[in-house]
Amino acid sequence: MIACIADNIISPMGLTTEENFSSVSKGMSMLRNHEDTFGLPEAFCASMLDRELISGLFADHALSDNEYTFFEKLCILSATDAISSCALQAECEDVIFVISTTKGNVDMLETEPDCPGCRLAFSAEKIARYFGNTNTPVVTSNACVSGVCAQIAAIRLLLGGKYRYAVVIGCDVLSRFIISGFQSFKALSPEPCRPFDKERKGLNLGEAAGTMILENIGGTNVYGNGSLWEFAACSNHNDANHISGPSRTGEGAFRVLKDILEKIDRDDIAFVNLHGTATPYNDEMESIALHRSGLEDLPANGFKGYFGHTLGAAGIIETILSMKAVETGVIPATKGYGTKGTTYGISASSATRETDRNTFIKILSGFGGSNAGIAYRRRNVPPCATPRKGGEA
Amino acid sequence: MNELIDKLKTQIIEALNLEDMTISDIDTEAPLFGSGLGLDSIDALELIVLLEREYGIKLTNPAEGKEIFRSVATIADYVSKNRTK
Amino acid sequence: MNTVSQVRITREETILDGKCIFTGSITELYREFAGDYPKFFKMDSLCRLGFMAAELLLKNIPAPIRENAAIALFNRNGSLITDRNYQKTVSDDNYFPSPALFVYTLANIVTGEIAIRNKIYGESSFYILDEYDAALIEDIAASVFITSSPSLLLTGWVDYNDETDYLADMKLVTDNKTKIR
Repeated sequence: MIACIADNIISPMGLTTEENFSSVSKGMSMLRNHEDTFGLPEAFCASMLDRELISGLFADHALSDNEYTFFEKLCILSATDAISSCALQAECEDVIFVISTTKGNVDMLETEPDCPGCRLAFSAEKIARYFGNTNTPVVTSNACVSGVCAQIAAIRLLLGGKYRYAVVIGCDVLSRFIISGFQSFKALSPEPCRPFDKERKGLNLGEAAGTMILENIGGTNVYGNGSLWEFAACSNHNDANHISGPSRTGEGAFRVLKDILEKIDRDDIAFVNLHGTATPYNDEMESIALHRSGLEDLPANGFKGYFGHTLGAAGIIETILSMKAVETGVIPATKGYGTKGTTYGISASSATRETDRNTFIKILSGFGGSNAGIAYRRRNVPPCATPRKGGEA
Repeated sequence: MNELIDKLKTQIIEALNLEDMTISDIDTEAPLFGSGLGLDSIDALELIVLLEREYGIKLTNPAEGKEIFRSVATIADYVSKNRTK
Repeated sequence: MNTVSQVRITREETILDGKCIFTGSITELYREFAGDYPKFFKMDSLCRLGFMAAELLLKNIPAPIRENAAIALFNRNGSLITDRNYQKTVSDDNYFPSPALFVYTLANIVTGEIAIRNKIYGESSFYILDEYDAALIEDIAASVFITSSPSLLLTGWVDYNDETDYLADMKLVTDNKTKIR
């Protein structure tokens, strides 16, 4: 069995999972209008981190500040919190780092186009080495679905038996490169986004880092604080349709949901946490996929109205927030949603709802025709007096 | 007008990487999207960039493009009326 | 895993299942072995390279088997060449961001191009490693079969540094149970 044993989220809404979940519960958002940021001719609405705050926090933790970029600092700070909360010995041989990012340090291209830091895996090595881990870290770079792909890659490596723990980090930071690209695609909403809504005008980008620590806890000796998060199912399918436009039949997302529904009990599902970018095409595609899967009536929600689209971090932070929601017995409201705006129904709500179910599905779709999904189940286990630490035999 | 049409065809071939095509292969009146040249949504966005870069025309709403980008003839007509450079 | 077929493409030569079948550039390779897919010319270099490797590997695989194939590719440089080209379109003095370049600043687009051409609806994943770690690549490829049952797995290395320095070292594999031929 694979379990998620610790987590962290850093975003403009908080520096821990608890702070972020509390901000969501209060209906907060840090989506703001940014003019002249990155010297861009056009303003944009995004959720951006305070760079000085992050650098200050990092200086408190690290030996040397100058060696690390903003992106790397965020990854390290997020992983540090998750690693320390489960007392994992991250330097051990049975620990592997898996990092989800679409563009890493791409902002360095502006000033140092030939520097090694522009390579995602160079950056990933620095992050793993910071924690003393010498295994080759794996970067999953699958556009917007990277965060779920990283979890799937980690889970498979753990099931393969060579590693016992995976530190799965998802992070992207905004830059002139990324914002201008989404602007050229006419994909950005000038105001806070409205997932699934009739008036939706596009997406907002956001900055965040998230970390999940996954462990292969074997078959029987289950321990925990009374309950734990167990991996239940995963799937990945391509639309085979277009490199930037979502499939009009929702083919890939439909196949993902179909695979997952074969492995979990429908009556256990609290909600489906959708991608919900608030672009006209994405949300419409998701409604078609839900309809084809017979899931129209199941509660659904989206987090982009709080955080924006955090790219490589999205799959990680939205999975963690879904875990917190199920633990708390709630289906978080979809901020920005008001009136149905898709052909088929999406059972989203602008209000928080209650749930007593123990499983959720998280799905994502992205450029390259990729679609991925994962499901986790909350499982009750007898408490253990002395939790084991990472690296012990 | 014919000069502008040929210039536009050359620019479209280059901007959209229509390798192996020459300006005589593009029918001025034929649809660019769907059946005709078979251009797609990314091509449409790239045509918006072309109009801005070469002719100083800013299209903010991609929906506007649908009519303008119907054929090379409709683009030439729009450019001749709206160009700022 | 059982290897069904393998291909290696470099600037010098193209080797399919141990035999050198071509010498020349990727575009020349396309004209010789594909030639019927104008979208090829819209792709960036990484996609053209991965696309041609897939063409050679998949050409004799029937469509119903291709549909359920999985794709898991690896490299070192991601989409860095195209990242640099896109960056040039957003400089201060010549700011015209190109959507057609931006879409290729995602390394996984190559898996999408292969999926579209071959109607592959299975998994598509792209991994970036800072060094060619053969054991780790083998572990990740083999692990695809742990949580899914693709008919075939198209896997391997596809890295494009510049027009003289590139390598596709890709293969088609099955798990130990399935027989394709």
